[in-house]
Order: sequence, then structure tokens, then C-alpha cells
Amino acid sequence: MEDPASPAVSLAWIVALPFIAAAILFTLPNYARNLAAGVAGAFTLLALGLLLAFTPDVFAGLVPAVAWPWLPLAGADLGFRADGLAFMFAGLVLGIGALVVLYARYYLSSADPMARFFAFFMLFMGAMLGIVLADNLILLVIFWELTSLSSFLLIGYWQHRSDARQGARMALVITGTGGLALLAGVLLIGQTVGSYKLDVVLQSATVLQSSSVYLPALLLVLAGAFTKSAQVPFHFWLPQAMAAPTPVSAYLHSATMVKAGIFLIARLHPTLAGTDPWFYIVTSVGLATLVVGAYIAVFQHDLKGLLAYSTISHLGLITLLFGLDTRLASIAAVFHILNHATFKASLFMAAGIIDHESGSRDMRALNGLWKYMPITAVLAIVASAAMAGVPLLNGFLSKEMFFAETIGLDSFGVFSVLVPVLATVAAGFSVAYSMRFIHDVFWNGEPIGLPRKPHDPPFWMLVPVGVLAGLCLFVGLFPAVAIGPLLEVAAASVIGGELPYYSLKIWHGFNLPLIMSVLALALGAAFYLSLQRLFRLHDHVHIVYGGRQIFDSILRALLNGSRAVIRWLATGRLHRSMALIVAVTITVAVAPWLTPRAANAASLTLAINVPPLLATVLWAVGLAATLGLLWLHRDRFTAVLLLGGIGLIVSITFALLSAPDLALTQLLVEIASVVLLMLALNYLPARADPLPANASRRWRDGLLAAAAGICVTVAVAVVLTGPSVSAVAPWLLANSVPGAAGTNAVNVIIVDFRALDTLGEIAVLGIAALIIVGVLQDYRPRRSSISAEKLAAAGQGFSLMLSMTSRALVPAAAVVAIWFFLRGHNLPGGGFIAGLVLALGLLLPYLARGTSWVEERQRINYEAWIGWGLFIAGLTGVVSLALGYPFLTSTYLTPEVPIIGKIPIASALFFDIGVFATVTGAVTLALTRLGRVNVGPR
Amino acid sequence: MELLLASGIGVLTAVAVYLLLRARTFEVVLGLTLLSYAVNLFLFAMGRVAVDRYPILRDGLAPTLANHSDPLPQALVLTAIVIGFAMTAVLIVIALRSDAEFGDDSADAGRADEDAR
Amino acid sequence: MALGLMDQLAILPVMVPLLVGALLVALGTRHVRLAAALSMVSILGLLACSIALALATADGSVIPYQLGNWPAPFGISLAVDRLSSAMLVVTLLVALACQLAAGDSLAQRSRGFHGLLQFQIAGLCGAFLTTDLFNLFVFFEVLLIASYALLLQGSGRDGVRASVHYIAINLLGSSLFLFAVGLLYGVVGTLNMADLAVRIPQLAPQDVALAHSAGLVLLIVFAIKSALLPLGLWLPGTYAAATAPVAALFAIMTKVGVYSILRVYPLVFGAEAGVLSGIGAPWMLVAALGTIALAACGALAARNLRTLNCWLIAGSAGTLVAVGAVGDAASLGAAVFYLPHTTFAAAAMFLTADLIARARGSALSDRISVAAPMPHAAVLGTSFFIAAAVIAGLPPASGFIAKAVLLTSVATAPSATAIWLFVLAASLAAIIALSRAGSVLFWKPMAVEPDPEAPRPAPPAASAHGTVAALVLMLGAGIAYVVFAAPLQRYAMQAGAQIATPERYVQAVLTTAPVERTK
Repeated sequence: MEDPASPAVSLAWIVALPFIAAAILFTLPNYARNLAAGVAGAFTLLALGLLLAFTPDVFAGLVPAVAWPWLPLAGADLGFRADGLAFMFAGLVLGIGALVVLYARYYLSSADPMARFFAFFMLFMGAMLGIVLADNLILLVIFWELTSLSSFLLIGYWQHRSDARQGARMALVITGTGGLALLAGVLLIGQTVGSYKLDVVLQSATVLQSSSVYLPALLLVLAGAFTKSAQVPFHFWLPQAMAAPTPVSAYLHSATMVKAGIFLIARLHPTLAGTDPWFYIVTSVGLATLVVGAYIAVFQHDLKGLLAYSTISHLGLITLLFGLDTRLASIAAVFHILNHATFKASLFMAAGIIDHESGSRDMRALNGLWKYMPITAVLAIVASAAMAGVPLLNGFLSKEMFFAETIGLDSFGVFSVLVPVLATVAAGFSVAYSMRFIHDVFWNGEPIGLPRKPHDPPFWMLVPVGVLAGLCLFVGLFPAVAIGPLLEVAAASVIGGELPYYSLKIWHGFNLPLIMSVLALALGAAFYLSLQRLFRLHDHVHIVYGGRQIFDSILRALLNGSRAVIRWLATGRLHRSMALIVAVTITVAVAPWLTPRAANAASLTLAINVPPLLATVLWAVGLAATLGLLWLHRDRFTAVLLLGGIGLIVSITFALLSAPDLALTQLLVEIASVVLLMLALNYLPARADPLPANASRRWRDGLLAAAAGICVTVAVAVVLTGPSVSAVAPWLLANSVPGAAGTNAVNVIIVDFRALDTLGEIAVLGIAALIIVGVLQDYRPRRSSISAEKLAAAGQGFSLMLSMTSRALVPAAAVVAIWFFLRGHNLPGGGFIAGLVLALGLLLPYLARGTSWVEERQRINYEAWIGWGLFIAGLTGVVSLALGYPFLTSTYLTPEVPIIGKIPIASALFFDIGVFATVTGAVTLALTRLGRVNVGPR
Repeated sequence: MELLLASGIGVLTAVAVYLLLRARTFEVVLGLTLLSYAVNLFLFAMGRVAVDRYPILRDGLAPTLANHSDPLPQALVLTAIVIGFAMTAVLIVIALRSDAEFGDDSADAGRADEDAR
Repeated sequence: MALGLMDQLAILPVMVPLLVGALLVALGTRHVRLAAALSMVSILGLLACSIALALATADGSVIPYQLGNWPAPFGISLAVDRLSSAMLVVTLLVALACQLAAGDSLAQRSRGFHGLLQFQIAGLCGAFLTTDLFNLFVFFEVLLIASYALLLQGSGRDGVRASVHYIAINLLGSSLFLFAVGLLYGVVGTLNMADLAVRIPQLAPQDVALAHSAGLVLLIVFAIKSALLPLGLWLPGTYAAATAPVAALFAIMTKVGVYSILRVYPLVFGAEAGVLSGIGAPWMLVAALGTIALAACGALAARNLRTLNCWLIAGSAGTLVAVGAVGDAASLGAAVFYLPHTTFAAAAMFLTADLIARARGSALSDRISVAAPMPHAAVLGTSFFIAAAVIAGLPPASGFIAKAVLLTSVATAPSATAIWLFVLAASLAAIIALSRAGSVLFWKPMAVEPDPEAPRPAPPAASAHGTVAALVLMLGAGIAYVVFAAPLQRYAMQAGAQIATPERYVQAVLTTAPVERTK
């Protein structure tokens, strides 16, 4: 990294200043017109000054650079360097930028928010400077995308105009796509050459071109460049972008942004050029763009439209030159970049003036403005003459060099001769549209129905145009003096290495290029006049079915396609999602068994021992109940009862398989669930009338169900054939008594070994109860199968049986609960079971007398039970932290208790109290709240 | 014995899955409850099963898998049972609410207008 | 030797929110102010704690925590490494944003919000810390039940509609989780992931296929949580229904699934796993790429801003899993680097959508349709523009850097071309969708003549300060991401290396002896 104190640091400032200006401008009020313009201009000139300070260094062939480490990618620092090319472009960006600022100040009307305009403008300028001065490709791409964003904002500046919005979005999408391609390409290059630093990349031509990624990288980078610089077939966004205010067009769409693509080609020329793919792709795209752009331009009636297509054509010319890939061609390309920037920017400004002062840009309306705005006319004529390549102007020189390069190609075989021919033809077109610009606007009869009487603009609006037009002339007359040195250093950094001999002279004697120029001038003039006279150009509305329509239709197709996909897939139907999940699960579960290895390995040798009678009966009953449920599931009460029956069988199974805790819990939870579902059924249809589910869906579901069943059966059977492989169980059994003073290993695991699971679990139970309370708060059921009076009757009936018993049963339940609780650590039982027992006991009075009756008499805040229960359980865990042990570390003591005798009390007991409280609170709360709604719709 | 258990769990799963794919929330709830039975038995079975084990550790009986069934899956099932109950309770109550809100006890109640949203 | 405070740090992100949540439930719903204060204190404290953990693990050390002082794998062990602590920091930043935004309205409108938020945090942190598969299941349930409660709060009918599907699908997911965990225990005999990593390679040949199935079913569970195709169709409806603060918090929820994938598969089915190494990768890649594509379609088709954002979230999850499927150190690191940025961006977009919806009034809400200009259009437009740039991965926003890192790190993988294609195409779709939305929401209105009959959108009733603060926090996090890209990426890459070579993690979990008792 360079010493940040070095003068090169001001390179960073050159990039930073416009952003700072933008930040300031964002804070300015929109009516501060002069202040806004002043800030923008001042910062631009300041940056320009800083840049010019580097002139001696750069012209001496040095490459001032500065960098700070930033991104974690090789060589992707926050660094800037100014070689000849970067210097030239930066000068272009800042110089023309300054002029456009001045111009825009007078162009924008008082209705336009000027501060915002300049904010966006400076944002763009900064991004552009970043592109040209970046010292590595990543930084370049970053600023590249920033120009896309800021130009999006600038094109859409007149937000109320739909063409502006569409133009902006189209530009963003096209250049954004290009940006993504460029990113991919740049990443490929960086991966291959091992760094993103330009110094490295520019030296790595051989490495890259010999690697396999060269072609993809080239294509991706070119995709970026071509989209940005509006090459065929991506050219169509540029004319759309003409909806932008003219200063924007003059700046972005002639001098700078579209040149970013060209800059990229020039920048990476040393690394990417010199191969056949480069030659063929770049040359042919450039040639096509050159011709197509020039041809279409002739038929535009809109001034800016004409200029836009002419820009496309000139960009094509430059691309073509880089494609030709000879040293002289590159020099010519760099030269034409400068020339085009000067004359095209001035022409745009002139067009803007004409629009501004006459209220129209339509060449069918604009006629004979010569006598109204002579100064503008003169300047415009100079500039367009340069565009046409008339001698003594800069456009002529670079075009001469261009012609010279097109001659004598042989790479295209017999077609090689086409290149100079097409070049001449395109040049002819450019002469034609240049003539049209001048003749249609300034002569050709009288203006037709203009909104206002045109006249020359205020002086300061003419200055920028004048300066640029002057440059065209000056460069055209004294090229060597005016542009020689700059061109030399710029071209040097494109070509890399010493420059070949070339002479910037107006007169090279009679040679083929000169003849081509003359030919082009003659052809162009003839073409325009013939169109004008014979085909009555003005009536001829030229519509090209081009990229724009294709682009629009693609976007539309994309949108509709997406909508269709979403409608088809994301139907928002639950059974769809469920079926998909089940199907995919079965697929992945079965997949491993399809390999022969697995098939052989998996042995299914079941010991066919005769199962105990009880087990068999149990199995049969369970099977019957399950199938019954399947059969009768529409009849919901029956279904719930059958479900309860199945649950009962499950719990008996647990008991049978020597798991009493499971049996008890399952039984109690079963009762709770059945009560729950029964209560719920009060508010749901007792029968589910079948929805129109077609047979095919039933088949689908049946198959899925069968497959799932088989998978599970096989899994269980296979596992059960083997012995237990548990690496944990022996230890748990062995340490239950010595480690945790509990002979009920299951309970010990729950309250001690895996207490965290339990903590989370009771949290879930508690929150569930709270959710139920919340959901039922203002719940008004549509129906209630138990009407109020029926309920009352039921209440009577209940009370006869239960009113006595229930009062007595609550304490009884409490006693049982406590009994279960205390023995839990050593015998089947524990906090859960106790909690569930008490909860169900507490529920009885509710069933007997109805919620309201009970709640008048007993006020128990079950939310608090949940909260405190959780808190206690957690707190017992926290205690151990104070003693320097991990969370939930238990300890125990064995006190002498009268009557009962020695009982070990583990601290886990208190944890279990928390569990007990939470379970009681949660279950009671949930069930009673659902019961309260019993009184029917309120 | 193993076959009974395996096939039993299989049947429970199959019927559960079929009910899961019904259109109405209540049936879905039935399915999920049934599925939770299947899962619990499955978890339990993963610890291997035997009819003649002592659930409780006692003196004079070595605390090994030879004498006792694997306690860990049982503990997991206990947790799973309670969590399953809680979740099912929430779902059924939401189903009631959805039925009241949209006048329709299908699981997709009120989704017809989703495309318009 | 007793455990010092530093040794106890690891448990705080689980313990504190559980206790605070319990306390808030116990105190009841009368003291909203107190609840808010407690909740805020807890979140800030935990944020500090998790930053401390991140610094402590920055050198690659793994902090194990043996709960109940029982040796692994017999009890439950937590462990903090770079990945876990990074997830903690992200979680708490998003939670902080949620708490701030909730201050506007939600907290008052629906009591008990703060307690639920605490439980949500506990569930998330627990999932990011535990090394035990069944314990992971439990924490999934905790964060799910909390998310149901939060989803239902203040979201009205939309919430009810959404939660039916959300809960039902997650219940199925939980059952699958139990099948998978049970099967793994049945054939491998342990629940501790580190222990699984040790035992999987030594499986008896006849058990391999079963373990393989179990591993893939587990993947399904995580894929449901990360909303991968074709299992993630629940996401848009659900998140779009939630109120803004909750939706912002949900931005981290899909990442739990992604985290689990990044944690479990390199560890248990990683390079050492013999025949079972890398069993997840092919399925992950297909599902992930499909998700990216579907999400792009969803984003283009979306009719309101929240739904659009939901699809983009699904897409980012897809991107993460696609990269995770590559599975080498660099790719995993890139995933770790990408994850936080996309979480912050999604949260920011939800909050922006909320502000827009409020400004336009409930009739229009955040629907992508032309209407009269909304109040504060300039500010909202700017915030939308920034958030959109971040999500679409346009520079200089964090999205661009994350994307660049991600693409470079997978460049050498065989699936690189596919991933590049899908990721870049998806960000193009994002650009199109977001520019369309922005143009419709902020530019077209300029053309609309506000007709006098139309009721002017009433200025939002509740103040928006909290939401704005949350938005600033999330966007600020994104900016910090750009500024400190290098150190963050270094951390992420080291995290990736740590995930890819888990020996140290396994060591720390299994061989750390409990504190010996001083009786």
C-alpha cells in the first residue's frame, strides 16, 4: 500500500469530492437554485484542478496511485491510479461535467427541484470518476453499478412522465444485467490471474488467454461493455433514455456513461485483446452498431432521437476500431473518443437550447430557425460538421485514421472488402443526418406551429456549446498541438508498450482514406437530398421493430410466467404442502435403500417368537379402532372417541412394555386431549360434509399413506432385530442412584440429566396455554351444538351427579397428585403426572357447574401459576451457578423425616415443583377457557 | 412381538398421513394426534422393547440394560407427548377461530382471495 | 475448580431470556412499562454477552458447557464456536430491532408481547448453542410456539389464516424430526452431535442405510424450516401476515434451518463420515437452486411489498443452502458471511414496508399499486431505495460484497456454473421486481392528480419513532458490513474452516470433564 501521505492521495479526493457535493446537495432546499449549481460547479472545478495537478507526472509516463486495504478479496483495495487513459477520461468527465453544470443551471425550469438534480448529477459524476480511476476490477464494478443506479435516478428525474419512468427502468435493467455479467466476468478474471489489481491484471494477458475461462470471461465482460455503450443488439435503451433532461443526455449519453463501456474495452484491451474471439466479436458488433445506428438516425424526426442513434453509431465506430486490434486503430479509437465527446455534447446542448427556446424538438415543426437564433445555428453547424467528418474539424481526422485502418483487412476472407465499404456507407449516413440536423432545423422554410417564438438563449447557456464547438475547430486545425501529448499517453496505456509512428496531420496527400471521405460526403449529401425531395422524408414515419419491443415482451412474459408458476405451485392449499412434504420425505427415506450395497447389508431376520396373547389382542383391537377411525372420520364425535380408544391402547402398550411413566402420562394426556377435542366439537359441524375432493386425490393420499406406513414399519422392524446400541443408556442407569439419588431413571433423566429439555418443554406448554387464552379472548363461534338452555339442563344433570362428588374430588385429586409427585423421583410419577392429575381434578367442577359458576367461587390466576412455575424451575438451575457449577446442576441430601423415615431429597425436587405448577396451570387454563365459551355465542 | 409393534406403528402412521391430507382442519388435527402416537411408539421402540424388565432400579439388581429397559427414549417420549399435546391444543383453537372468522372450517379458509392480495 | 463468569457466559443467552420471560408471564399483563424495560435490559445485556462470546471464540477456541455438570454425551452439552456466536449476535441485533419497533404500537396493543419475545430469543439462542439433537428439537418447539404467539399478536384475520397452515406444517415437521432423531438413536445410540460424528464412521454395515435415511429425513426437517422448495410454500403467506416488528424478527427464523444444515451436515456427515459423508449435498443443491428460481418468480409476481420481501427471504435461504451444499471451508465461510447481511436487509425491508403501509393508510397498505402521493414520500423513498439496493446486491451496499465473496468462494466447485447462473439471475429478478415496485410506489404517484373526493391517507396514529430507530439499526448494520467487510469476512472464513474441520469442536464437547464436586 502506498504511503497515504503521498500526493497521490488527492486521487481519492478527486473521486470523493463529487460524493461530498452530492451529500451537501441532498440537504439543500430545492429553491436554492444558484447555490445548488454553485456547489456542484465549485466541487467539479476543484476536482478538475486536483486532476490537472497530475498532468506532469502522467505525461512523464508515471502512474500515480494510492490504495487502502478494504475488501477481503485479493487486491480489491480502496485504491485509485491514474495512467494516461484514466487521466484522459477523468479529464473528460470533469471538464464536460463543469460545462454541463453551467448549462443545466439555465436549462432547468424553476419548477424542477434543482438541488435534487445536481445531487444525482454529482453522484453520477463521482461514480464515473470511480470507474476510470479505480485501481482494481472489483472497485471498478462497484462504481460501474453505481453509474447504473444514479443514471436510473437521472433519467427518471421527471417522475411524472411515464416515458421517463419506463426509460429509466429499461436503462437500469439492461445496464444492470450487463453489470451482473461484468461482475461474473471480473470474478473469473480475478480467480484466474490471482488478483483484481489492474497492475497485475494488465500484465496477465498470457495467463488468462491460455486458461479455459478466457472465452466465458471475455463474453461476460463484453456483455457488460456492450450493454453500457449501447451496442447492437442492446442499443435500444439509449433512445428511450432521451426522456431525461437534455443536460443529462449531453453528459451521460454522449460524453461519459455510454463511454464507460468503451473505457472498459480500452482498459482491459491489454489483457483480453489479441485473440480471434476478440477480433471477430468486437469487430462485427462494432460494425453492425456503426451501420445500424447511422441508418436509423437519418429517419428520426426528434432532434434528440437523431443524436441518440448517431451516438450509438459512433460508439460502434470506436468499438470497431478496438476490435480491429492494431496499434494505430487503438490510437484512432482513443482519438475519436475525445472528438465524439466534444462535438456530441455540444450538439446535445444545442438541441436542448432549440427545445428550450422554441418548445419543440420535432424537425418537422422546426424550420428556418436561422434568422431567429443565428449564434446557436453557427455553433450547431460547426459541431455537426465535425460529426459529419468535414475537413478542418476534429471529426475528420479521426475518421481518416479510421478509414485507413479498415483498408487491407483479410481476416474476414472475401468479405474483408465489406468493412471499408460499410464504413464508407455509414460515414455517408452520418453526413446525411448531420445535414438533416442543420438543414431541417435552420432552413427548409418557416417554423410550423411552434409554441413560442424562438430566439437565442441567455449568454451563459451558449458558453458551454461555444467552448466545445471551439474545441472541435481548434483540434481540427492544430491536432498535434491541441491533442498530441494527451493522445499519446492515453493510447500508450491502451496499447501497452511503445507507440507506432503516426502523424496528426490534416493533409496526408491523396490516398484511399481521403477518397473514402470525399465519397462519404458526396453520398451522404445525395442520400439526404434524395430522401428530402423524392421520398418526402417528413411524412415518412420510420418504425423499427427492434430490441425495445423484444425487451418489453420478454419482461411481460417473465411477469406473466412468474404469476402462472406461483399460482400453480404456491396455491396456498394446505393439503398440497403436506402432500409434497410427505412425498419428498418418503423419497429421501427410500433412496438410500436403492443402492445394492444397502440392500445386501440390511438384514431383516425377525425372531418369530409367538407373541403373548394379550399383546395380540391389544394389537387387533388397536388395528380395528384405527381402521374404524379411518372409516368414520367424518363423524367427528365417533372419531374423537375412537381416537381416545387408540390412545388408551397406546398407553396400555407402554405399560405392557414396562414403561409405567409413559403409560400414566399417555393416559392422562389422552383424557385431556379427548376433553379438549370434545369441547372444540361444540363449535364445529358434528359431521364433515365431504368437500369436492376428486377421486384422484384420494388415490394420491392413499398411496402416500400406504408408502409412509410401510417405510415406518420396515424401519422399526429392522431396528428391533438388532440389539440395543445405546452408548448412553448404561451410564444413565448406572449413575441414576449414585449420581442423582433417584431410582426412577426416567424421572431422573427428566429432572436432572436432561433437565434443559424439560425446561423448554414446560415453556412450550405454558406459552400454548397463553396463546389459547389470547385466541379465545374475543372469540364468537358461528354455532354451538350445546345451546344455553341445553347447557343449563346438562348443568342440572351434571350437578345431581357431580356437584357433591366434584367438590370432594378436587381435594382427592390434589392428594393423589401430591402422592404421585413425591414418589416421582423414585417410583413412577413426578411433576408432569402430578400436574396433569391435579389439572383434571380441578376440571371436574367446571364440567359439573360450568365455568362461570366456578369462577365466581374460586379465583385462581393460572397465568401466574405458569409464570411462577417456569420461574421456579429456572431458578433452581440458577442456584448452582452461584456455587460455581453449571446451570441446572442438582444436589441432594437425605434428611431423617419422622414416620416416613430417611428420604433423599434432590434439589431436582424443586425443579419438579416448577414443572408441576406450570403443567397444572397450563392444562387447567387451556381447558377451562375452551369450556367458558360453553355458554354459547355471546 | 416385534412384528406386531412394527406393523402397529405402521398402520397408525398410514392412517395419520391419510387424515393429514384431508381438507378440513379438524381432520388434520386428528391426523396429527394419531401421528404423534405413532411417533411416540416409534421413539420408544428405538430403545428396543421387552415385556419383562424392571422399570425401577432396585438394590440387588444390576442397573444394566439386561435388567432394565432403556430409560432415555422413555424420557424423550414424555417430553414429546407434552409438546405434542400443547401444539395440538393450539392448532385446534386456531381452527375454531378460523372457522368463526371465515365461516368455513376448511384448512384453507379465507385463502380464495389470496391472489388478489 | 469452580466455573468463573466467563465460563458461564455460554448459558446466559438461554437462561436469562427464559427466566425473564417466565417472570414477565408471572407478573401478568398489568406492567407493560416494566416489561418493556426488563426486556430491553435483557436484550442489551445478551447482545453484550454474545459479542463477548464472539470475541472469545475469535481465536478458534470452542467453549463447551456441560449442563447439570454431567459429562457429555450423557447429559446435554452446549458449545460456542465462531458460527454459534455469530448467530447469537445477529439474533440479538434483530431482536433489538423488533423490540424498538414494537415500542410504537404492538407492545401496547397486545400485552404479554415482551415475555413472548424473550421466549423467542431463548428458543433461537438455544438452537444456535446446543450440541444435542433432541435438545435442538425442544428449542425448535420453543421458538416455534413463541413465533405462533407473536404471529397472532395484532395481525387479526391474516394472522389466523396464516397460522393454521404454519402450525400444521410445523407439527408435521416436528413429527419428522422425532422420527429422524429416534432412528439415529436407534442405530447409532447417541443424541450428542459430536458423539454422532465420532460413531457414524464406525457404523455396522447393516445400519448404514438406516442412518442414511435418518440423516436425509432430518434434512427434510431443516429444509422445511429454511423454506426450501418444495417444502417452503408456507413462508410468504405467514411472514406477510405478521406485524412489522414480528416480521422483522422472523427474518432470522428461516436462518435457524440454514444454521442447522450448516451445523449438522459438515459435523455429522462430513468428510470423516465414511460412506455417509456428504449425503445431504446433492439433495440440498437441487432444492436450493429450485428455491432460488421459485423465489425469483415469487418476487416478480408479488402484489405487495411484504410478499415480495418474503420471496426474497426464501431466495436468500436458497442461496445459503446452495453454497452450504458445496461444503468446503471457503463456501461455508461465504455462507456465514452472507447470512447476517441478508437477515438485516430483510428486516429493514419489512420495516420500510410497514412505514409505507402506515403512510398510505390501511386501505392501500403496501400494495404495489398507483395512488396519490404518500406523506413523507422523499424519506420513505430513500429508505426503500437503500434497502432495495442492499437486497438486490447493488453496490456499494453490503449485498454486493456478500454476493462477490459468495460467488468467488464457490468458483472452483463443480456446481459453480449452476450456482453463479441462478444467483446472478435471481439478483437480476430482484432488480426488476424492486425497481418496478419502487417506480410504482414513489414515481407514478407524481403523475396522479389527487382527486379531492379521495380521503387523504390519515397520518399514522401511533408514532413511528421506534420503527424508524429499528430501521436505522438494520440499515446501519448493513453499512457497518461494508465498512468492516475485511475483518468480518476473515471471521466468517475462519468460521467456515472451523465448520468444515470439526475435530476441535468434537474434542471440546466430548472431553471436557465436569467440575468435580466439593462435597
